[in-house]
Amino acid sequence: MTNFKIAEPQTIDQVTSLTIDKKDKYKLMAGGTDLLAEIKDEIIEPEVVVDLKSIPDLSYIKKEKNGVRIGALTSLARLAEDTLIKNEYPALHEAANSVASPQLRNMGTAGGNLCQRPRCWYYRDPQVKCRKKGGGRCFAFRGKNKYHAILGGGLCYIVHPSDLAPALIALDAEISINSPKGNTTIPLTNFYTLPKINVRKENILAPNEVLREIKIPLIKKEEKSTYSKFIERGTWDFAIVSAAVKGTVSGGIFRDITIVLGGVAPVPWRLTKAENIIKGKKITEDLVRKATREALKEAKPLEENGYKKELAEIVLYRAVLSLL
Amino acid sequence: MRKKEYFADSEEASLLYREEFRDMKTEEPEVAPSPEKDKFEIIGKSTSRIDGEKIVTGRAPYTHDIKLRGMLYGKILRSPHACAEVISMDISQVQSLPGVKAAIQLKKGRVTYAGEQVAAVAAVDEKTAEQALKLIKVEYKSLPFAVTEEKAMEEGAPQVRKRPNVQKFNEYTRGNIDKGFKEADFVLENTYKTAVEIHHPAETHGSVAKWEGERLTVWDSTQAIFGVRDGLARALKIPASRIKVIKHYMGGGFGSKLGINDYTVAAAMLAKQANKPVKIILSRRENSLCVGNRPSSLQTIKGGVKKDGTLTALYLKNYTSGGIGRGDYCSEPVVDLYKCPNVQVEEHSVFTNTGASRPTRAPGHVQGTFALEGFLEELANKINLDPLELRKKNYSTKNQGDKETPYSSKGLNKCYQLGAEKIGWKRRNKRPGEGNGKVRRGLGVASQIWWGVGRAGTQADVKLHPDGSVEAICGTQDIGCGTRTYMATITAETLGLRPKDVTVKIGNTEYPWCGGSGGSTTTPSVAPAIRDAALKAADYLKKMAAEKLKAKPDEINITKGKFSNKNDPVQSIGYKKLIEELRKERKFRREKVFHGEYVGRPSGFAYNTFGAHFAEVEVDVETGKVKVLKVVGVHEIGRLINKITAESQIIGGITQGVSTALFEERIMDNTTGNVANPNFRDYKIATSLDIPEITPLIVDTVDPRINNLGAKGLGEPPRIPPAGAIANAVYNAIGVHVREIPMTPDKVLQALKRKEVD
Repeated sequence: MTNFKIAEPQTIDQVTSLTIDKKDKYKLMAGGTDLLAEIKDEIIEPEVVVDLKSIPDLSYIKKEKNGVRIGALTSLARLAEDTLIKNEYPALHEAANSVASPQLRNMGTAGGNLCQRPRCWYYRDPQVKCRKKGGGRCFAFRGKNKYHAILGGGLCYIVHPSDLAPALIALDAEISINSPKGNTTIPLTNFYTLPKINVRKENILAPNEVLREIKIPLIKKEEKSTYSKFIERGTWDFAIVSAAVKGTVSGGIFRDITIVLGGVAPVPWRLTKAENIIKGKKITEDLVRKATREALKEAKPLEENGYKKELAEIVLYRAVLSLL
Repeated sequence: MRKKEYFADSEEASLLYREEFRDMKTEEPEVAPSPEKDKFEIIGKSTSRIDGEKIVTGRAPYTHDIKLRGMLYGKILRSPHACAEVISMDISQVQSLPGVKAAIQLKKGRVTYAGEQVAAVAAVDEKTAEQALKLIKVEYKSLPFAVTEEKAMEEGAPQVRKRPNVQKFNEYTRGNIDKGFKEADFVLENTYKTAVEIHHPAETHGSVAKWEGERLTVWDSTQAIFGVRDGLARALKIPASRIKVIKHYMGGGFGSKLGINDYTVAAAMLAKQANKPVKIILSRRENSLCVGNRPSSLQTIKGGVKKDGTLTALYLKNYTSGGIGRGDYCSEPVVDLYKCPNVQVEEHSVFTNTGASRPTRAPGHVQGTFALEGFLEELANKINLDPLELRKKNYSTKNQGDKETPYSSKGLNKCYQLGAEKIGWKRRNKRPGEGNGKVRRGLGVASQIWWGVGRAGTQADVKLHPDGSVEAICGTQDIGCGTRTYMATITAETLGLRPKDVTVKIGNTEYPWCGGSGGSTTTPSVAPAIRDAALKAADYLKKMAAEKLKAKPDEINITKGKFSNKNDPVQSIGYKKLIEELRKERKFRREKVFHGEYVGRPSGFAYNTFGAHFAEVEVDVETGKVKVLKVVGVHEIGRLINKITAESQIIGGITQGVSTALFEERIMDNTTGNVANPNFRDYKIATSLDIPEITPLIVDTVDPRINNLGAKGLGEPPRIPPAGAIANAVYNAIGVHVREIPMTPDKVLQALKRKEVD
């Protein structure tokens, strides 16, 4: 681990101005559960760590007439315990509750979960300089790739590790970003980018921008949602495959449905093709499995991760059927 | 001919296991012990750990906790290459960094795995030491390497050591294997695979070294304080008498801390150079690279059986890899566990450019039992026989691998009976995989054989003070098994006192000699030695009490702090009163030391421990996920010494066994030459939610001659059968044997596909 300085800004504006002249030499820290591990393992060596937790009032869950606003520094534990979230947005509740362990949920934050870095073991090996770290190749492509991407790979085969992201995208969440150029609000789905856009990053956030808030629209009548995460052991594991499903359902038919998979691609993966097949039809196990298979035809498994395709089918049909 | 050693330089640790248990013959005891007649009040019951409160409240000092005045922190530079020549090294720059007090070069020539130590520094704090490592300039010439078994076995693969990568190290024959196959009604052949596991004790490896003139004191997280002392003496070329090794408490070792470590030597060298104490604690990452592992295995078993279940032949071919170290002997279960007249074994080591193996809680037996017990399960199905009946049918009362020597005691039949009752064996699927639905249940069984004898020459003292206080002293170490507690229990039992009346002293090489705590030897070594010492102390006290009570010493009974005349129990004197009077009469004014020893056991018998585990699992046949619901672990270990800690051993063994069966696997990357998962994120161990309901049961028999208590060891036995029992339960649930551990969902799904093809 190399030495670094800690900056404790009092406002978000201070963050954006603080970081303006120190490009690439500073890192923003929310809960720190991922960032500190990266520093300790010497994956990154920032000169300054900007502790966002010193900014007051970034931890909140507020219900308003247009929906719910969640402060970026709201802890995952708080998110998982919140009654409103649990009752109205079960997908988000289940996703927050499925993250890591109670200790990590106490430290980890909603914003940090969305911005965390991949857990690819090549990326996390300090001795390996892969494409994501500015090197010339993706070691997973012909290497050990049991946990890697079956979709959207190419230059880099990481899977996005966030549990909240698929759930929030399924719930049509937006995020507010503070930037020196002004503040913007965008759909969360537009936040994430594939390796072919920029192999070194997983999202559009510039170094001097801060993800400040998450907004989820009000739930519609008969809207239901769920997040189902398949892991190898009983708890404390990253998803092999996860599925977030949201839709309005009655009489065993989805009038509309949104499906987002986690653990299969470098970004949360929307399954539009499957949604279209399922929509308006009487739901059966068979229908959902066929729809998933159809949608995953474009998947390109590597040597060791083909089983993820099978698992996606199972995880997804079970998630969809659980909403009937 | 029993075994053939092919290696000139067999690894010390493997030898320790091999020779000490199978081939070691002890002295004949002058008087054969006959422990069956003894009846005890405390021994065999549950006594809570006397140090339990200290441990759970965080006050027990571990090596990680040692802080000495002026102490420096050492860090080790390790090779980033799986194979390379160290062309040059320059450590001169490190001294320019303020706070750095010592630096040493540790390697010249070739490094043969990524993580091998090449240099070390000591500085005033850990951070400075880490930064100093970056100032060491090493020029490597990297060379081709092979880090996986597949790669190492390829034609023309880079040679890992100065010998071929694949090398036979064991062969065994009894009877005639071809004859055995001819006599069989059915012959089956399958291949079973087990992954490399890392020990990963909760407390990572570490040492603190301090010189006072020519004398060296080392605090070490070790299973063998005397082994560390003697190893240091050899490495530093100083007399053993000048070295003291201390270990008070430790957070696990599981075989990875059985001897001298190179980082301990480095700490001593740095401490000498800096003239200050030096502490080196390895990181979790380092623990994944360079302090041992359980070798993998690829075992093909071919066996013959008659229609009635009689085994006629067992053939095992094993390829096992322990990195640059040797693989494990996995053949012991095939050779000894079941009655079979025709057995043939050949075992090969596969060398790879990875850290050397070390004994891992029941080395070889975990892998060998998984394969053999899986094979028997499939064989039983072939002849349509209850797998438990197949095991009973081939019950052996003699150790066939050890010249047909009869077992001194064997309670495996009783284990089968108790376990089958407890798990409800009748509930199993009569035909594997006969159930319906997406989640299926199954039951499985696996048996176990292990050694469990003591190490002759183990010494212990019981010291009586003129104020009546008592010490039990032995140079052993408590590696978490409750050694302190039973030393107190046995001494108290023998002297008619309570465990809390006894002060226990262990973990220091200045105490009487005791071997390393490995191979389930600690209890059957230390318990008889301390019992011997305590009996001598009791004899002295009986003699003194007899004088007071005007009786003969052998007429004196000791119970509950009182000495009484057997023939006239009204005639009695209390322990305290006796001591007080002796002191006043000037007969007992100085401390008295009674020296005990475990000298050995009669020859002509085989001494082994046995057990059977029964598992119940639930398998999701769509996702391939296995959930272990229940494990019943039944063990025969001679006399039970302390019920509660024995049960803890079984629970611990099963917990690790579940982890082995479902999760643990070190993954090597052929491109980088590195361990892909040197952390607890990617090297998955069972979490509390993965641990099933566990029922430990103990068949309390007394071995009639193994030692003066009739007790065998229990450290390793419960670690052996869980993976086999769980895999067999999975087979019973889904109708296909996975044949590979860990049984992760991808592998279970693959096995289910094999079933469709079959």
